[in-house]
Amino acid sequence: MDDPGVLLQIIFWGLYAGCIYILLATGLNLIFGVMKVVNFAHGEFLMLGAYITATIFFLSGINPYLIILLSMLALIGIGAIVERLCFRPILGTGKLNEIFLSIGLMYIIQNGAAMIWTDNWQSIRSPYDGITVPVGSLSVPLDYIIIMVVTAAILCGLYLFLKKTTIGMQMQAASQNRKGAMLVGVNVERIDVISFGLGCALAAAAGTLWVVSGQVFNPYMGSIPAVKAFAIIILGGLGSIPGAIIGGLLMGLAENGAAYFLGGIWKDAISFVILIIVLVLRPTGLFGEKGE
Amino acid sequence: MKYHVLIIAVLLIAGALIAGCSQSQPATQQPSGTASVIKVGVIASLTGPASNVGTNMWNSAQVAADKINAAGGVTLKDGTKAQIKLIVGDDESTQTGGQKAATKLITDDKVDILVGGYSSAVTSSYQQTIAEYRIPYVVTGASSPIITHRTDIDTSYIFHHCPTTDSYGEYTTLFIDEVVRPAVNKKLGASADRPFRLALLYQDTAFGKGIQTAVNNTITKNKLNIQLVSQQNFKMGDTDFRTQLTAIKAAKPDAVYNGAFPNEGAPIITQARRDIGLNTIFLNAENNDNAQFYKDLGQYGEGVIIESRFSPYTAPAGAVADAQNEFKQSYFKRFGTYPDMMGASTYDGVFIAAEAIKKAGNTDKATVRQALLDLEMPQIIEAMKDQTCSFSPDFRESTFDLWMEQLAYNATLGEARPSIVWPDNLKTTDFVLPSWYVAGSSS
Repeated sequence: MDDPGVLLQIIFWGLYAGCIYILLATGLNLIFGVMKVVNFAHGEFLMLGAYITATIFFLSGINPYLIILLSMLALIGIGAIVERLCFRPILGTGKLNEIFLSIGLMYIIQNGAAMIWTDNWQSIRSPYDGITVPVGSLSVPLDYIIIMVVTAAILCGLYLFLKKTTIGMQMQAASQNRKGAMLVGVNVERIDVISFGLGCALAAAAGTLWVVSGQVFNPYMGSIPAVKAFAIIILGGLGSIPGAIIGGLLMGLAENGAAYFLGGIWKDAISFVILIIVLVLRPTGLFGEKGE
Repeated sequence: MKYHVLIIAVLLIAGALIAGCSQSQPATQQPSGTASVIKVGVIASLTGPASNVGTNMWNSAQVAADKINAAGGVTLKDGTKAQIKLIVGDDESTQTGGQKAATKLITDDKVDILVGGYSSAVTSSYQQTIAEYRIPYVVTGASSPIITHRTDIDTSYIFHHCPTTDSYGEYTTLFIDEVVRPAVNKKLGASADRPFRLALLYQDTAFGKGIQTAVNNTITKNKLNIQLVSQQNFKMGDTDFRTQLTAIKAAKPDAVYNGAFPNEGAPIITQARRDIGLNTIFLNAENNDNAQFYKDLGQYGEGVIIESRFSPYTAPAGAVADAQNEFKQSYFKRFGTYPDMMGASTYDGVFIAAEAIKKAGNTDKATVRQALLDLEMPQIIEAMKDQTCSFSPDFRESTFDLWMEQLAYNATLGEARPSIVWPDNLKTTDFVLPSWYVAGSSS
């Protein structure tokens, strides 16, 4: 019989991993929901967020949790440029174009980052390094509590933005029916830029939380998380933000559970096993709608 | 008129192409096996997860080639002096990248000999190409014994200048039994027959599994009083080890042996100490004796053990100390950082390749292979058994003098630094259990 304290600890690590996945997958889903584009370079925006945070931290020593805002702002700008220069010209020309464009972007961004920051593994130390807090029967590092709170705050902020602002409602409209939104006067190209930038900003937030948790990073760090983010949005349902949140949490818990019960080598595979099972039973994903 | 211009353009392009082809001919028009330039292919991971170590290997090869060339190059049988020309192949830290790099170096660049190769998984993926083209290859980074022990393909052109996981896995386990186990018993006030509780955390590759096998075999073969309380694995390049470390902590180990690369070893120790509260001794394989590893560990390097044969920050007293220091200074002068263990092996590897070609007198592949088999040259910068570089007749493996280091945190530097603690004839200080160390259990 496994120690309940150990199982609680594994669940805690699963929740932490889930936070990173949720932010990454929500950003990807936001972009897909509005523009219906497949962007395999989404993990590279996570990587850029990580490097921007680390660079500002190394140069200024500012608390990295505050740098998350700067990192997100920078990625809104970078995302807007990428959307305008790369994705908009090929929008509606076929999925193959999107796939190859995004694969090309992956390599360009990775190599660009390697030129700027070198491809050595790096890590930073959070100012709260070594501080633990009691959570029930567990004693957990403060950083992970902050990471969970920051993730929840960002998701609440996104919810309010989508529900309470005009642009947010226009994004929902474009997501539900792009032509219909255009007919009622929504400038969908403007919405595309904002959605893409916002999606990239969420990836940047995931990158920032990745580095403050003390995980190592290098220019190639984004590829695997991006593949997992795709699995999450398919699992949760394409275009569904609640689906991305539930899917991200499931992925984090499943990975860490598999690493504990089956061994570390099953960590990546288990997510895809779950994905296949869900797709067989419910092809639209957990929260997806027909036609997506 | 237009057609005339087109025909002239086509003729000019064709002419240029023919001229281009003929310019590369002189090298192939020479009698077989002679050369004014010796092309040494270096296979290293310049990109991908192992790029830190790979870059170190490539840089070290350049330092070695510069030294050989500055001394006049390699004297061949006909009396001519040939310069070493290095050509690098980036294996991208992947098996497909390794296959591409090896094929390009052999077929396009037509190298005379190969040196390098990091990660047993990557290196073993292109051994078929080496066997097919029968090109001598001095492997200096991949440490699984399968590199020369496998029987499914011909490995007769491969020479292993790197301790295998069998040898350093055994060495580390014997160190645990002889040094760490008595220290833990003393701290606990336990009797000498208390079983030592060891946990393994290893990369799920030939390298990591090689260490796991070596530890298990050493315990069985020597009937050591060591109990393996947890054996956890992870995928190569993973960054989050918290779940495996939680499982290890639950097993109450006295020490943890990591079969990991530096980019995995440093996060393992940091996450264990900082996030899990696993305050124990971490033992690491020799590839972690790397400047980046020390930097990434920071204060969590305190008490860490590394099995080693070359360190950026220490050297055993004796014959190789001066040679190692000279290499470190040359490397630092050129690259601004210090070389690591795999860099040192690759430095040795280039010298071994040059010596084999010198003994062969030419670059004929079969003759160079025979020269490598017969090789007996004084140790270069790494401490070798009998102070001699040679390859065993059965599996063509070098034999090294190894040692164990323990790290102590230097607050001024913000990093830990190593001291040799074992064996007795090389040690500069004694192994100590840190004040924060927590043993697995008292019984």
